[in-house]
Amino acid sequence: MRPILLALLVALAAAGGGAAVVGFGVYDVSAINQHTGPVYWVLDIAMNRAVATRSTPVPEADEEASRRGLALFRDHCVQCHGAPGVAPQPFALGMTPVPSNLVATAREWDAARVHWVVERGLKMTGMPAWRYRFTAQQLRDVTAFVMRLPELTPMRYRELAAAAPAPAAPADPAQRPGDPQRGREAFRQYGCASCHRVMRISGARQHVGPPLDGLAQRRYLAGMLPNTEENLVRWIRFPQQVDPRSAMPDLGVGPQRARDIAAFLQTLE
Amino acid sequence: MARRASPAASIAGLIGAALLAGCAGEPPAAARGRSLVQAHGCGACHVIPGVPGARGRAGPSLEAVGRRAYLGGVVPNSREGMARWLAQPRHADPGTAMPDLGLTVAEAEAMAAYLSMLR
Repeated sequence: MRPILLALLVALAAAGGGAAVVGFGVYDVSAINQHTGPVYWVLDIAMNRAVATRSTPVPEADEEASRRGLALFRDHCVQCHGAPGVAPQPFALGMTPVPSNLVATAREWDAARVHWVVERGLKMTGMPAWRYRFTAQQLRDVTAFVMRLPELTPMRYRELAAAAPAPAAPADPAQRPGDPQRGREAFRQYGCASCHRVMRISGARQHVGPPLDGLAQRRYLAGMLPNTEENLVRWIRFPQQVDPRSAMPDLGVGPQRARDIAAFLQTLE
Repeated sequence: MARRASPAASIAGLIGAALLAGCAGEPPAAARGRSLVQAHGCGACHVIPGVPGARGRAGPSLEAVGRRAYLGGVVPNSREGMARWLAQPRHADPGTAMPDLGLTVAEAEAMAAYLSMLR
């Protein structure tokens, strides 16, 4: 019995110590200092293992894909990651972790892992999920370009970046009825949780706008539109057109995503 | 469904309602505001913690409305802002379905005193 008792005491002490660190605000969460050595070590392993385990192979990319990816990279990635001979923007240098130099990433990682992180992002690192900003093709294109980074001289990068045309705007045509499951993911990806409380979504606890629990039963949207699917989609997409005085911003939600979000909101009873 | 989704909120609401109904810590203005909220039928359109029968679903729930950043999605929330919004919602936002109830300034202020306490 005694070893069990001892183990129990040690576990209790560890749990108590952990609770004290959290409760008394002991841990430095500022971006000035990196995590402590042991914490960084554990998080780094957890991140690398999760990406390696979850990523799946991506098709071989051709020259054309990487050429298209260059324009996306220049417009959406350089600001934080820099490029050969190009520094990140000053704000990005203040991030912790500082966004990776992708030349190093491409030398060490395979395309599958790069694609996984580009598409899904990494929570609490500042790396966004690009799934809702890029098409599937664009995700592959930008991955293809990142994988080519180590071959480029800084001069060559500069020439290519200067010559690349603006990337095509991603299209999101409404093709199917709203899907609540996808809508739930889109709800988070369009920042809805920053302002609206939804009990069943963790992290959606803000009271900037009204709570959306019970939305399915609400008669009016935005205090002025009858609560129909069509109106909900319209309100999600063009709030400033519906009510120019509203604090709800236009978040650039495409028609299909808006349908999905509306379908999700209609499940909130 | 609603009951299952928010047991914690319901309990918090009940406790809040019990505290308010107990009148132990409720300032007189807020107590007056609460009866005005009831008398003017705000509960016909809004769920309002602490107000019996306030289960309307036309507008948003007023649960935690004291913490809300904007009223009607338009007016920055403060005690004064809320009183103005209650007194003349259509002045702040002509398109709103929230009606002008013909409240006096004092009435609107008392109601704001109560509603601001919902946190």
